[in-house]
Amino acid sequence: MDIFVQQLVNSLSVASVTILIGIGITLIFGLAGIVNFAHGEFLMVGGMATWFMVGAGMNFFVALVLAGLLVGALGFAAERCLFRFTLNRPMNGFIMSIGLSVILQHAVIRVFNEFQKSITDPVGMVWTIGGVDIIAMRAIVVAITAVVVAITYFGISRSRYGMALRASVSDRDTAELMGIPVRRYVTGVFIYGSLLAGIGGALMISLFPITPFTGSVIIIRGFAVSLIGGLGNVGGAVVGGLVLGLVDGLSAGYGYPEWTDAYSLVVMILILVLRPQGLLGGTLGPKAS
Amino acid sequence: MPVTDNSAGKTGAATGRTRASHRLALLTADNASVPLPASVQAITAILLAVLLIALPWLGLGYRFLSIAITTLYTAIGLYGLGLQFGQAGIMSVGHAALMGVGAYASAILSVQLGLGFWTSLPFAMALSAIVGGVIGLPTLRVGGQHYIIITFCFCALFVIVLTNGGTFTGSATGLDVGSVTPLPGINFDKLSNNYYLVLAALFLALAATYLIGISRYGRTLRAIRENEQLARSVGINVDLHKLGVLMVSGLFAGLAGVLQLYYLRHISPTLFGAFPSLYLALMVMLGGARYLYGPLIGAVIVNFLPEVLNLDPVDSRIAYGICLLLVILLLPGGVGAGIKNVYCALTGGSGTQTQGGGSNGRA
Repeated sequence: MDIFVQQLVNSLSVASVTILIGIGITLIFGLAGIVNFAHGEFLMVGGMATWFMVGAGMNFFVALVLAGLLVGALGFAAERCLFRFTLNRPMNGFIMSIGLSVILQHAVIRVFNEFQKSITDPVGMVWTIGGVDIIAMRAIVVAITAVVVAITYFGISRSRYGMALRASVSDRDTAELMGIPVRRYVTGVFIYGSLLAGIGGALMISLFPITPFTGSVIIIRGFAVSLIGGLGNVGGAVVGGLVLGLVDGLSAGYGYPEWTDAYSLVVMILILVLRPQGLLGGTLGPKAS
Repeated sequence: MPVTDNSAGKTGAATGRTRASHRLALLTADNASVPLPASVQAITAILLAVLLIALPWLGLGYRFLSIAITTLYTAIGLYGLGLQFGQAGIMSVGHAALMGVGAYASAILSVQLGLGFWTSLPFAMALSAIVGGVIGLPTLRVGGQHYIIITFCFCALFVIVLTNGGTFTGSATGLDVGSVTPLPGINFDKLSNNYYLVLAALFLALAATYLIGISRYGRTLRAIRENEQLARSVGINVDLHKLGVLMVSGLFAGLAGVLQLYYLRHISPTLFGAFPSLYLALMVMLGGARYLYGPLIGAVIVNFLPEVLNLDPVDSRIAYGICLLLVILLLPGGVGAGIKNVYCALTGGSGTQTQGGGSNGRA
């Protein structure tokens, strides 16, 4: 039982990173209409930046915020210089994002190297709750994710901006006529999603080592999460992330660990074929023109 | 590149295009593309054939010829991808896995049953075609990006299966095969003979692509690409056509995979994973999927660029990425479209716009 609870907490912390990247993708794909395959690389860049800053003696939590901002700026640049020009042709944007992901991956290898990087546990405490040892950092990761998710959820579903954003998605032309600056919203969503990826990367490197190739692995999980939940659906991304994180964490503990990656892929293919709008419903993705 | 695949039910109301006239034009005649004069087409084809056949005699060295072989078998796979994307508008980023199906089928037949190159080739190609069709089944339900993600998943799954396949698939280390069974008088251990083998297959792929492009079948595919619902409403069996082109594409992929296997003589799962698949997508976009020589151009650029610029692998990959971004931003139809437009501008003819519709045959 103790082992089960530990596995559960571990799975939750892994799921947190997946949820963060899943939310970023669900927003960018579902609301801004951009399929950004480089999103995983954004996360990796965030992790690498954190590694670099912590290595230079900076406090982890400061580095986390800076990594988020840095990747947000990266997202801004990518949107302004690249994706802005392909909004009407999502397929071209998608192919471009592949190019961007190759560039980022190898730029990181060029600047640092291809070996895995890790930082020491920034908190370094173990809490014992009811006889179960819980690594404090893992709990903090879960807590940070919960806060971010809550902010995003209420931002999208309750705030004026969220409403305007959803209006732009369901009918772009009318939203523009109502005076909503749709383009600016697209940019804003892209930056916000990227910022989440940066934070996710920082949290990820606090849990386990990452390599320049981590991004291309995690992106699949991100897509799986966002598609399971339904694109543009923040709550769905959380559910998807939890399901996937728990399946992965528990299968690593109990099942066949060498097939761990296969589960999320199979789940994703099934969902895409059987229920393209996701389990909880969402947009069908960018309006393919 | 135009707007691609609309999945049923969400056809592009979002575009500002006036569709009505456009639709009819595309279904009745392929006049969106202005084919180049037959003489130009023939001259280009002959020049290209002569150049490719003469290549081993130009004394460019062993390394050059090796890269040329890699380029050619990659191009064969790309012609399949070019057909499904350029003609039918179905993009895939799992195409290397389809090549892998062919390569592994042939390798397993060789290891388990002792079948050689020629005997295993039909089986491997057939299996690739069937797998291509099976993976294609979801396109009948979902379109666009969803399908792309499915192909990517398939590709990742394929690598996991191969890696966990034990001795049957050789796990992570992969499988080895012997050399191509010699034909009377031709020993394929010699690099230039291997080159001609791959070249012959490339000519087959080119001819098949050309014939499909000018046939009624090709026109129907382009009609489906431009407007699936309309194509359905005029009585075209859209599902059958889509599956058909995916199976043809699988056939090409299988051929390319077997050629790759017998050139390298050793295969491992990483050859058919996500990265190679993405590169195939890159090459086909770079060259221009709708042009007869587009895939070949893409393969040549991507394979020879690092060699010409003398880049190490990391830099060359950064260069690929930058090339891809530039091509998409500046030349959405690929380099093939660029060359055709330049040619048309020079001769004063009316060239296809890069956005126009399916020109098949750059020249």
